[in-house]
Amino acid sequence: LGDPQNLKCVTHNLHKMLCTWDISSRGRHGLTNFCYTTNDLTPQVCFETKERMVEIPVPESSITVTIESSGTAFATKEFVIHQKDISFVPVTPHILSLMPDFPTSTLNLKWSDNGSVFPYGLDALWQIQILRKEAMEVVTQVAYYSKLTHEDVILSWNWTSDMPLECTSHYVKIRCYINATQFVGPKDWSDWSPAEEIPGKDTEPGGSGVFPLDPVVAVGSDLTFCCVHEEDQRITNMTYGSKSYTMMQLSSRSHAIRVLNASVSNSSGTNVVCRLENGLEGSVVFVGYAPDTPQNLSCETSNFLIIKCTWKPGRPSGLYGERRTKYNLFERTSGKNVSCEVSEVNRDHVCGFPVLPDQKTYDFILGVSNPIGQAQSSLLVDIIQRVHPKTPEKLTVTGNNSTSIQLRWFINGSFTDIRLLCQIEISSSHSERQLHSVSMPGRKSSTYTAQLNALHPDTRYQFRVRCSAADHFWRWSDWSRAVEQTTSEA
Amino acid sequence: MAAAESPSSALRRRDLCSRGIRLAGKMRADVVDLLDAYVEQQGLDASASVAAVEGVPVAAVERWDEQTGTQRLLENLAAYRAFRALLAQMLEEQREQLGEADAGLGRALAALLLQVSAFAYHLEELLRLESRGIPGEEGDGPPPPPRLSLFEQKLRGLGVLRELAQWAVRSVRDLRQLAKPSPATGAAPGLAESP
Repeated sequence: LGDPQNLKCVTHNLHKMLCTWDISSRGRHGLTNFCYTTNDLTPQVCFETKERMVEIPVPESSITVTIESSGTAFATKEFVIHQKDISFVPVTPHILSLMPDFPTSTLNLKWSDNGSVFPYGLDALWQIQILRKEAMEVVTQVAYYSKLTHEDVILSWNWTSDMPLECTSHYVKIRCYINATQFVGPKDWSDWSPAEEIPGKDTEPGGSGVFPLDPVVAVGSDLTFCCVHEEDQRITNMTYGSKSYTMMQLSSRSHAIRVLNASVSNSSGTNVVCRLENGLEGSVVFVGYAPDTPQNLSCETSNFLIIKCTWKPGRPSGLYGERRTKYNLFERTSGKNVSCEVSEVNRDHVCGFPVLPDQKTYDFILGVSNPIGQAQSSLLVDIIQRVHPKTPEKLTVTGNNSTSIQLRWFINGSFTDIRLLCQIEISSSHSERQLHSVSMPGRKSSTYTAQLNALHPDTRYQFRVRCSAADHFWRWSDWSRAVEQTTSEA
Repeated sequence: MAAAESPSSALRRRDLCSRGIRLAGKMRADVVDLLDAYVEQQGLDASASVAAVEGVPVAAVERWDEQTGTQRLLENLAAYRAFRALLAQMLEEQREQLGEADAGLGRALAALLLQVSAFAYHLEELLRLESRGIPGEEGDGPPPPPRLSLFEQKLRGLGVLRELAQWAVRSVRDLRQLAKPSPATGAAPGLAESP
């Protein structure tokens, strides 16, 4: 009677262990003399305690314990504890922070791995539990692995909810298991940490509304919308567009619907409406496509002042206004960035980039983005090889006789860096259409002339002209307006 | 007893009133058309009940028949000034949200804004006719409404158009009332008297 019994030892850190024992009622209130020795060589360590729990070192192999209780009757008992009898239960982990990011419905969890307590290199397994609603139902339980490095490392983990965090309260708990392979005793999970809470709007006075509020999502998404209302408000129904959906109750102040495989919305968005007995709450969701990679990116200059880039945008995003797809043209060499004004409605996509002094090669990246995604195309171009002059203007006859005619025209643009090749089309009623080519040094916003010989006297001719770069042909300009002239009689 | 109005002034007022009635009638027809297009374009339920929207003047009035002419004009003017600001806000939101998509609705809104502005000016003309001071616009107009969610913006737009349609009806009745000759003297009464 009164003998100490059921000695159990648990270690939380593989160094120290907490030993507890039972003593029958008669021996419970006196002092206890507790002695231990790990092996024959080390002296016995003793101390007195009123508790029935002591912290002593974890033995390499075994430890001999003598417990002498001095209650109403002396009782002494000796125990030999082997490592295999000691259970290893890590300390209950502690959540450092749980931060919500409402726009993305993401929780960011941070906790310390308490690694400084353990030897280097142990594998730690964490279980993270996400719970939801007033009833704290488990939504998911996730395993997370880490390596302890004998230092306290802050671990971070993100979880994206399938439902807006505003809809109802979310809770997170963690526990860990450390795979101490050298430790031969039984190993177990730590206790769960206290639950950290992210309160939902359904816990806030006046938190009513439909959530998420005015989101932009990709076509095909599965969406959860919730209606948070006052306690005394009865909810009639929730519609997505024109269709009513079955509601799930999240709490006394929150109901949700689930919309699968959302299709593209119209330009003003799809309304999610929550009808309450005395009012309406709503949100507008914009369902669209991420931008396609721009195709056929091509850049040219017509005047060596502006480089004009064009491209095929691909599938329309279905997003408009402030959510529309935006384009910017970035030039790597100069680091210059231009945002492009592109009309959502008409289909030609054009962007102007200034010709930079003393720069001929341009390393373009066309960036495309909208709230759902982004894409880019790139193009390396030497503008000398991409000259597409404007239409020649003011084509006039400046001199003529019976067999020759002199023409003059004007081209807007600064072509001082290149030679121009111009083609003159000669038509007359009784001879085949002829093309006469002439090359000349380019000039800056200037007029150009050409002499046509070997014409027939007293003959009515029509002329028109077009030009291009002489050395690196890229594209002809459009034809100028035609001009008519009759050669004089012979 | 206020002095009776000069025949030329009465004639001018009756002319302004009848032109105002035509303007209000046209405005009402356009608002009704726009309402249908708006409801469809915004994906709203035509039968949706919209709570009173802050800042939108309410057309319903108690003891309408006891109002003086000046009261009628002043209330009308205040209302259409408010609608001018509300429609301008709607137009800006429309451009922000839709950009060039559905430009038709934007054009219709802009046209309606012009009509409302013209009608407000017309009301000022009537007040000037009666050498009534034209109330100044409140500072820079009504305080900017709170930033609403997109659904609230849609509902507010619905509320604005519905109430504007009601106001157009009331304005026609008000102007008809103003145009009536006074039963006693047969001459058109000054604004102060005309119930």
